[in-house]
Amino acid sequence: MLRIQRVQGESLSPEYKEGDFVVITTLPFFLRRLKTGDVIVFQDHTYGTLIKRVEGFEADGGILVGGSHAQSLSSHILGPIRAEAVIGKVIWHIRRPLEMQ
Amino acid sequence: MIYHLLEKLDQKLHFGRVKAHCDIPCGIYDPIIAQIAALTVVRMIDLMTGLEGGEKKDALEYHNTISRYIAVKEEHAEKAKHEIRVIWGDYLKAQHLEKHPNAHELVHKIMQLGSKVRQSANRETALEFVESINQFAEIFWETKGITTKRAKAPYAPNLELVYPNL
Repeated sequence: MLRIQRVQGESLSPEYKEGDFVVITTLPFFLRRLKTGDVIVFQDHTYGTLIKRVEGFEADGGILVGGSHAQSLSSHILGPIRAEAVIGKVIWHIRRPLEMQ
Repeated sequence: MIYHLLEKLDQKLHFGRVKAHCDIPCGIYDPIIAQIAALTVVRMIDLMTGLEGGEKKDALEYHNTISRYIAVKEEHAEKAKHEIRVIWGDYLKAQHLEKHPNAHELVHKIMQLGSKVRQSANRETALEFVESINQFAEIFWETKGITTKRAKAPYAPNLELVYPNL
């Protein structure tokens, strides 16, 4: 239902930075109601477990994702994300304190 | 406080990692791929029209050729849509959209036209598809501070495309 995960990489910087923690919900109730701007965790067969922001939806339900800057690994490379690949949605973000960055 | 607690827990429990992965930071975006793909759609419609009005071939040859034109039209309409979606979704950021508030509407129009040119062989719709992508290209280059010009493509169907002044 709830999982704690730690962020690696800077593709969602400055909002999500390396070392931040996120709490995600895996409840289908929330995953069926995703909207643009939500941050999701999903499984990609090439890159493993990824965290990205939802940027849109395709007519057939595919989820388009991206990061916060132009160099993010996004749906350009990944293609649309299938709903079944979504593991969870971020519901709480615990930032790394400034003095530790 | 909570962070420090989680960090201590992480040292013992080893929480899962989620990658906010960057690809090789190429940052390579260019609407020309979409523009050429849209031009190809018009070219295929022209070839299809020519085949219809041309010398009658035997049925097998006719179906083979027209199927190939349709397949290429389908592929390039989809390619154009894909390329525009990528620039819109990955490259355009809030500051660009503030300056170009019509970008969302334009992209939506391109998506709709891209579907229409697949569903029909209407040249007017295909021309509108090319022009809408040209307008998107003007926005794209403007965000990079690069001026543009319009010139006829040096290949059939010789339509006007937007090119950056590099």
